Amino acid sequence: MTIAPEKLTQYDEYVEALDLLDEDSRFEYIIDIGKRADKVAFPAECMDEAHMMHGCMSKVWIVHDMEGDGHNFRGQSDAIIVKGLVSMMTGSFSGLTTAELGELTLDHVRGLNLGALTMQRQVGMMAMLKHMQKLSRISDLAAAN
Amino acid sequence: MNDMNQSANLAGHNVEGAFDVARIRQDFPILGRQIHGKPLVYFDSGASAQKPRAVIDAMTAVLENEYTNVHRGAHYLSQTLTDRYEGVRGTIARFLNAPSEEQIIITRNTTEAINLVAATYGRRFLNKGDGVLISDMEHHANIVPWQLLRDEIGIELKIAPIDDRGVLDLDAYAALLDGNTKLVAMTHCSNVLGTHVPAKEIIGLAHERGIPVLLDGSQSVVHSRIDVQDLDVDFFVFTGHKLYGPTAIGVLYGKAELLAKMPPYQGGGDMIASVTYEKTTYEEPPYRFEAGTPPIVEAIGLGAAIDYVTAIGMDKIMAHEKALLAYATEQLAALGDIRLFGTAPEKAAILSFVQEGIHPFDTAATLDRAGVAVRVGQHCAEPLMARLGVDGTVRASLAMYNTTAEIDVMIEALERARTLFG
Ligand SMILES: Cc1ncc(COP(=O)(O)O)c(C=O)c1O
Repeated sequence: MTIAPEKLTQYDEYVEALDLLDEDSRFEYIIDIGKRADKVAFPAECMDEAHMMHGCMSKVWIVHDMEGDGHNFRGQSDAIIVKGLVSMMTGSFSGLTTAELGELTLDHVRGLNLGALTMQRQVGMMAMLKHMQKLSRISDLAAAN
Repeated sequence: MNDMNQSANLAGHNVEGAFDVARIRQDFPILGRQIHGKPLVYFDSGASAQKPRAVIDAMTAVLENEYTNVHRGAHYLSQTLTDRYEGVRGTIARFLNAPSEEQIIITRNTTEAINLVAATYGRRFLNKGDGVLISDMEHHANIVPWQLLRDEIGIELKIAPIDDRGVLDLDAYAALLDGNTKLVAMTHCSNVLGTHVPAKEIIGLAHERGIPVLLDGSQSVVHSRIDVQDLDVDFFVFTGHKLYGPTAIGVLYGKAELLAKMPPYQGGGDMIASVTYEKTTYEEPPYRFEAGTPPIVEAIGLGAAIDYVTAIGMDKIMAHEKALLAYATEQLAALGDIRLFGTAPEKAAILSFVQEGIHPFDTAATLDRAGVAVRVGQHCAEPLMARLGVDGTVRASLAMYNTTAEIDVMIEALERARTLFG
């Protein structure tokens, strides 16, 4: 099974935009996304231990809800750059089913071609993806019970 | 031949002459690198320092020409390398002004040295209810080994407080010595705040009550002159990689009478006098504490690092770093949006700070874009972060090869961070 292209339009937009930029501009692009994400309210009550992702140099929270059989995610971080990165991840991969999310791999993270970012942050983004995959499975289990 | 290599490497530095940072920089190959198209500004020496050519060459020479195991073979290579390896013990002893090289135990790093003391001295001489006194600005390496001992035998971990500048509260410290305290284990210089702890006073106060003192010299050995006899310290530990030496080698110095009473740490080869299935007798210190094949090449590298630092002169390094610290402190203050943690009157060139309203990670990422390497986060000192009331800081830790021009690069990048995130 492959993921229908129309489900990844936001992801493709990011890929295209980043591709045109040099490293310094990519850095600023991510900051911009982070700042824009700042304007969308993230539920304060969700910035708690339960929604926090561990193992990041800054704090990262991800909330999840369902729309049909698609999973929606929203991310938050106390650092703007990380907020930009987590917004790119949640924006790119919201609306996918559990099975579709399960198909995403490190290649999708690499596809964003965030060359400006250090490996540390690439690993951080992979952790975000894994976290989203985990949330989708947990939610399926909860629905089945 | 190696001695000649070494003097050739050091010949550029006029030992009597002025401190020439440009010349020193040439000794560190990595400082010629570009990061993101910008010259590397390495302000993360507190985590691990860069290596001078003298260290790299000494290690390469051993691997290429002299390598074998030590303490074992009757053959030529083994005897010459054993002599060199043991010679490093002497180099370390002189560097610390230890009375004898037999009091120098080679470990993997500071962490292992502290664990060694906790596991041997601690298990043998501490009992349930005894107190081990540390400070509120310890690296996890000087917290967790004592917590393990607490969980195992029920010692009490006691914490000497610091004030808002990061200065140890000596009155509180003295009061905490009374009662059940049986050992003091304290940082000599904070890796986060840079504070130099008044070690002689601390040791004097402890000794008045018959309490031995361990100093964590991981940072102090890089930024100050160490004399274990003058300090009268009971245990002194440090790690090679922060002192311009290689990783995977550290040092434990101990007073002879304490080491003599301590049981072995790990069992194996090199630490035994004789082994039968019925009974094994152990070597005398230092070998009793050094089971297995030691870090041979790393020891030669550490010896070269100490020779290098000594040839330049610790006093000159200290003067240079003091000037850098003053300049950086002044420039950071001039930005007007910097909260500096650690303002002790006696401190090393370690600057922990946050930009008001900007997450340390965002600051550090912007510095990285400018080629400036700093550390961000909790610096293996979570309890200290809690005491300071922050989640983390940016830490610029300077070394002998840094310059005021590099500080200017950092300041400019901080201004850029203000524009990007402000
Ligand atoms: C004060 C202090 N203690 C202990 C350590 C631990 O050193 P190592 O990891 O080499 O054992 C460090 C280094 O991070 C340090 O700065």
